[in-house]
Amino acid sequence: MTRDELERALAELPFRMLRRLARTIAGPPAMRMGKRRIIHTIMAEAETNQERIEAAIRTHQAEQLAVAAIPVVPVDAVSDFTAGKPADLDSFLEGIGVPERGTFVPDDWQVEAVDALERGDVIVSVPTGSGKTYVAVEATRRAMYEDRTVVYTSPLKALSNTKFTEFSKIFGPESVGIITGDRRDNPNAPILIMTTEILRNLLYDAAGGEIDVRLDTLGLVILDESQFLGDPERGVVWEETIIFCPSQARMLLLSASIGNPQELAAWLTSIRPNPCHLIRHQRRSVPLRAGYLHPNGKLTPLFRTVAMPPSPSQAVLHPEAKRLFTMYEEDTSYGSRRSG
Amino acid sequence: MPPSIHPVHLITVLRQKSLTPVIVFLTSRRSCDEAFQAFESTAETLSQARQDVITGVLSELTAAYPSIQDHPLRQMVTAHGVAAHHAGHLPSWKIAIEELMRRGCLDAVFATTTLAAGVDFPARTVVLTQSGVRRDQDFSDLTVAEVSQISGRAGRRSKDSVGFAIVTPSPYMDLGVLTRGLTGRPEPVDSQFIISYPMVLNLLKAHPVDHIQSILARSFAQYQMNAQAETLQHRIDKLQAKLESYQPRECSDWLTQWSAYDQATRQATQKLQARRHHPPEVLARLPFLTPGRVVAFSRFRGVVLRRYRSKGQHHEMVTVLRHGGTVAECPVADITGVVDRTLDFAPAPAFPWAAPEALSWLGQELGEMPKQLPAITLSPPALGEGSGELAKSLDGIFPCPTCPCRPVCAKEFKAANTVKQEWLHHARTVQSLRTGLWHKFQERADTLHDLGYLDSAYKLTDDGEWARLIRIDFSLLITEMIRAHAFDGILPGALAGIMACISYENDRPGSFPRISPAMTALITATRRMASSLAPHDDPPLLRADVGGLAERWVGDTTVTWTQLCRSTSMAEGDIYRLLSRTLEYLSQVHQLRATHPGLASIAAEALSRIRRGVLEELP
Repeated sequence: MTRDELERALAELPFRMLRRLARTIAGPPAMRMGKRRIIHTIMAEAETNQERIEAAIRTHQAEQLAVAAIPVVPVDAVSDFTAGKPADLDSFLEGIGVPERGTFVPDDWQVEAVDALERGDVIVSVPTGSGKTYVAVEATRRAMYEDRTVVYTSPLKALSNTKFTEFSKIFGPESVGIITGDRRDNPNAPILIMTTEILRNLLYDAAGGEIDVRLDTLGLVILDESQFLGDPERGVVWEETIIFCPSQARMLLLSASIGNPQELAAWLTSIRPNPCHLIRHQRRSVPLRAGYLHPNGKLTPLFRTVAMPPSPSQAVLHPEAKRLFTMYEEDTSYGSRRSG
Repeated sequence: MPPSIHPVHLITVLRQKSLTPVIVFLTSRRSCDEAFQAFESTAETLSQARQDVITGVLSELTAAYPSIQDHPLRQMVTAHGVAAHHAGHLPSWKIAIEELMRRGCLDAVFATTTLAAGVDFPARTVVLTQSGVRRDQDFSDLTVAEVSQISGRAGRRSKDSVGFAIVTPSPYMDLGVLTRGLTGRPEPVDSQFIISYPMVLNLLKAHPVDHIQSILARSFAQYQMNAQAETLQHRIDKLQAKLESYQPRECSDWLTQWSAYDQATRQATQKLQARRHHPPEVLARLPFLTPGRVVAFSRFRGVVLRRYRSKGQHHEMVTVLRHGGTVAECPVADITGVVDRTLDFAPAPAFPWAAPEALSWLGQELGEMPKQLPAITLSPPALGEGSGELAKSLDGIFPCPTCPCRPVCAKEFKAANTVKQEWLHHARTVQSLRTGLWHKFQERADTLHDLGYLDSAYKLTDDGEWARLIRIDFSLLITEMIRAHAFDGILPGALAGIMACISYENDRPGSFPRISPAMTALITATRRMASSLAPHDDPPLLRADVGGLAERWVGDTTVTWTQLCRSTSMAEGDIYRLLSRTLEYLSQVHQLRATHPGLASIAAEALSRIRRGVLEELP
């Protein structure tokens, strides 16, 4: 092959192969090197490595032929995430709009969570926006029915204020109070909204002898956003709250999806009088689709399928998204190199 | 092609595909503001009907939050139906944007990835523009939990039948991070349990010290550490079994025995090697080169002050006091003759190796010595005493050289020792995992005892009783300042200022040049106190400029919010956060009514002054 032929053939190679080739010939290429730049480095060493380069090109061509020879089998797009015809934009955008308003029926897990509170503590770990509030409200209603005090804590003052408004609407303003660092409204109400720090301080005061009457009748403690337990600065407050929570009170931990809810549940079971039930799932209440938008305004699905792949190993990029992103990477990295 | 899509173009495309409302996540506050400002130049505005709806919602909110009324961004938000939402804005403005978004009045919001978790702020579509996020000084990849927190905002319940997460590239984006984030499992939550000083005080207030260990054992931290220790224990058991699988030896602890023998042999060999570096005549000199010995070099004479060998060097050296009174370091090999004469003096442990008076005396003696002096004749030791003799010298101490197990030990020692070292390492780790928390607690308690908050029985002293009510970061610094009477009789403004200094941990640049002399002195005193407490607690940042800001707001009640904002380059939201944190700290100080009535009343005054204008808006 002549130099020109070689260069043209190299341009046909996929990016990954080029990088590998450049590594064997001229050492590891820099992270942000674009395609053209890599070809340039390879060509600089072409004289001494002609055979190796040609071998790489031949392998690639053979692979291409082999791929072309495989017959395309139509597969159901949803059931298989790695094969089959890639989804098109129309099916990706299908179904946008407002769903029909049906009567509200609580999901099974929501009912299960409320029921499980009768038997012990509960951890709910479900995706954002799946309806954790319903569980909190129902649990509060039951505790109110049994004449027990409820404490609802959240990590943020803003969130506490929102919940205060929300609970006041549901249970009536006279039965909901709020205590934050700088606000005290109706602090003797049966339902108290507070930040987790305040509850921790109350528990310390109670343990220190300054008995707070409310803690005797405390029936339910709801810790919203309990994934904050892992927060480097404030996580310790959640831990203290859970350790010192009176044993007669039930705990309801509401959390976004986390990696180890069963470990948390096992811990709670080990330190609390009643076993802790774990309610978890990964289903979103509104399905999610992922798209890729190129800077030129072209929109394509991000994955081969319309639905989200269930795990990273099954996440295969849509060929169009992949092509556009590779193009983008090559353009920007080459451009930034040249100008820099 | 531009490095990333233009914000106006982005929103136009998404509007066309009816993918709005959308939240666009960007890296920095500035990029949010810039994206928002980009709409200023577009002629396209919302229909009058939609603008009216936005105006309606905003004026509805104005009743509760008056600062929305004249917000400078209000006009643009109404005209274009887009907004920026980040921590640099006032909470009231953020609430307004959230409310507009909830009611579906806006088409796009540009937000930072730190958009607070839990705030109900969903949209039909979220746009991801980067795979990294700035953390402290660093830039690191978004975690799966963060990506799912972001994508969780796509798709509003009962308003959308499907939500979209759209990735648009920008330079240095790693698509792998995002696809993993969109499809992967979130990271586990790990305990961040730290034992703080207020925790120690509060625990000891409620429980006797011998109950503490069992209380600490109930923490998630200990639960996780126990799990770790359990896994390690399995490894230890396996290693133990491996160690036991070696056949029994003559001695009970062959590994220790052999390792001692091995080491002794090695040391002896090293000595032998050192000897090889010197010719026999030099070696013969060595025993004579004691401090005080007079030696001759080819051109001068001197007194030996010490003999040494530098680390890693083979050559023996001497430090000598030369004839002229100078101290020199010379190799032993350079000595031409050892004189039969010693001068008695007391050697010192450091340079110049003798007391000054001894040095001058030695110098004098040297000068007075006659030119000719009798030299010692040296008999070089016979060479050839090799390792054979060496082994013999160890015979008496170690049984190994004659032990029947010796070949097996020699063969297996290396492998077995690796196993044993690993075993020891794990055993130590397990030990620290099981008792680490308790030790940390003891360490903290001892500090509190030394400072006088706890008595020798770990019961709270009078100071401890009130100090436990301060349950914030840097509580130790604050209580120590109170005990040092640093806050006695100061102005409310200065108290607010110093609390702001202590509480504010953000190093985002800002500037407020003027602070009062009293405040300067107070900050200096606090800084001194913080550095004296540094061994027990990390010192706070103590930024003087933020202190000045809080002092101005509290000290002069005629200052309006706009004036305050204009006097600094800090963002409005940051000032708000600073003041509300100061408020929290002040209310902690206010709790000390019973023991420090004077200070509590200053704090009460500062609290009432801080709550005005924008600060009063939000409960």
